[in-house]
Amino acid sequence: MKVNAPKLKNTGLNLVLKMAQRLFALAAVMLGVSLLTFMLYYFAPGDKALAIGQARYGGEGDVQREVIAMIRQEYGLDQPFFQQFMHWLTPFLQGDMGRSLVSQEKVWQIVLPNLYETLALAGIALVFGLALAFALSVISVRRPGSNADRIAVAFASVGAAIPSYWLGLLLILLFAVQLQWLPAYGSASFVHMILPATCLGLSVTTSQTRLLRSFLLEAQRAPFLEALRLRGVSEQEIFWRHNLRHALPPAMTMLGIEIASLLEGAVIVEVIFSRNGIGSLFVSSVMSRDYPLVMFLVLFSAFSYVLINTLIELFQEGLNPIKHDNRVLL
Amino acid sequence: MADNEVVPFPIDPSAHLKSIAAEVSQASAQYQCTAVQRFLLTLRIGVVIIVSLYLLALLITPYDPNNADFLSRLQPPSLSHWFGTDHLGRDVATRVLYGASWSVGLAFVISTTGALFGICVGLCAGAGPKWLDQWLMRGTDSFFAFPELVAAIAIAGILGPSTVNMVLALTMVSWMRYARLTRTLTQELSQKDFVLQARLAQLPQRLIFWRHYLANLKLALLVLWSSLWSRTILSISGLSFLGFGVQPPHAEWGAMLVDAKAYMTSAPHLMIFPGLAVLITVLTLNLLGDQLHDHLQGTNEH
Repeated sequence: MKVNAPKLKNTGLNLVLKMAQRLFALAAVMLGVSLLTFMLYYFAPGDKALAIGQARYGGEGDVQREVIAMIRQEYGLDQPFFQQFMHWLTPFLQGDMGRSLVSQEKVWQIVLPNLYETLALAGIALVFGLALAFALSVISVRRPGSNADRIAVAFASVGAAIPSYWLGLLLILLFAVQLQWLPAYGSASFVHMILPATCLGLSVTTSQTRLLRSFLLEAQRAPFLEALRLRGVSEQEIFWRHNLRHALPPAMTMLGIEIASLLEGAVIVEVIFSRNGIGSLFVSSVMSRDYPLVMFLVLFSAFSYVLINTLIELFQEGLNPIKHDNRVLL
Repeated sequence: MADNEVVPFPIDPSAHLKSIAAEVSQASAQYQCTAVQRFLLTLRIGVVIIVSLYLLALLITPYDPNNADFLSRLQPPSLSHWFGTDHLGRDVATRVLYGASWSVGLAFVISTTGALFGICVGLCAGAGPKWLDQWLMRGTDSFFAFPELVAAIAIAGILGPSTVNMVLALTMVSWMRYARLTRTLTQELSQKDFVLQARLAQLPQRLIFWRHYLANLKLALLVLWSSLWSRTILSISGLSFLGFGVQPPHAEWGAMLVDAKAYMTSAPHLMIFPGLAVLITVLTLNLLGDQLHDHLQGTNEH
């Protein structure tokens, strides 16, 4: 509706209202996310008390009836849906993430070292991938339609279609098996990180190059650039100070989505390269139906995704103060 | 071509009074849509050709995808086995061919189910009352908050690794995009005069949905559908590769790569061909989606 939409002025009250609205939407999404995560557990097939008992006492067969009753009580499995949900959520909010069913260790004690590994891998991959994407897109917008541009676009298109697990296997085949330059498996040292980080980073590059390129091209079409040129501003300055600045805000949004797909990519890459990390931890805990660990990791990934996107949106509004439509979160 | 016609000026209740004007507008509408229509026609012919070639290939291949032949294990590509044989002596070329029906067929099922559900949610949210919109969109946001692959692994893994559960899981993580797009476009359409007029003329609700909303949403949804289709193919083979999807005896590309991983040093051809198949399929679908997208933007600019 473009018809006389009342313009929100940036007065203090409106700003507070806006923040409150945003926080409310954030809280609603987080509640929805927790509810969905819990439903995953609630509707899981099979007798959960039996599964917990088997995991705890390390057996495949039957568990004593008294023990099962005890476990039911402990996990609140005999209560109705909503009570069970609260039974799970309340300690969670108090910072008690529960214990793994398999190893009986506290969840955060298992997750934390793995999280560092994944963050290191994802960080290096992100920096490498973005740097390559930036270089490629800058080269390709120098002269749109030139051979360099075509090669960059073709690289990005083909790269976007390569399944990451296949790319990982190819990298192993080439650099670890044929050339024997780099180790393929494990996470002992930095050398072990080169191949997985390349694999993950290339997926960042392929998805970001085309976007960055189109944002830069769009920025290049701005009419005020002509005026700047007439005034004698150098091409270098136009590119760095004007084009880039206009291409950055949309690129930031895509970065938020990219970080989520980094997490997804980490799952596959860590499994292929047999690395420690929350991705491979997630897969193995799903395989062994370690519910507390699975639920924590699912919730963790969703929360971090939402938070990152909110932060990026706030940052973007800082970059671009003209925007005054009051968008709802996400 | 009738079913692919876009209706820029859908049925006006008083149209029969000014039949000439209607004819003129229809003619101009047809003129505007020819580029897209021509593209869709070419696309349809292309699809028919590819599908018939594919079926022909399935007919003439002398091997069975699951027939083990232990005398010819791990053979490199040759004239009798174009892509070589795997660790059980099965013909890789045949398996890659059959893998296409798994990936493409399942992706079709998943993205279509997801699209239908998402469009329903989006229409209800976009054209329904405000409270319904709020609830549905908060729900969609919550579903959207999960990284796709993580949610799919969790759902498929906890329900138990099987093809059906993978389809269920991928459907559950794919409908939100359709819902959001449909809602946004529906809200825009609701402001248009022809929808208002249809409402005032008390056209039945289903007609308004069918003729005015869906007719105008069709192309945008088609673009989204085509782009998600290729993503779904990647997800299917990824999940199968991790062991949460189609299980190994079946000839699915991701599942084939699991087997191939063990023989990477001795028989690298096992790994190359299924991956190439995924790459080519996804690349083709992506390029088609881009073309469709460009054509759609072309018509919008008129």
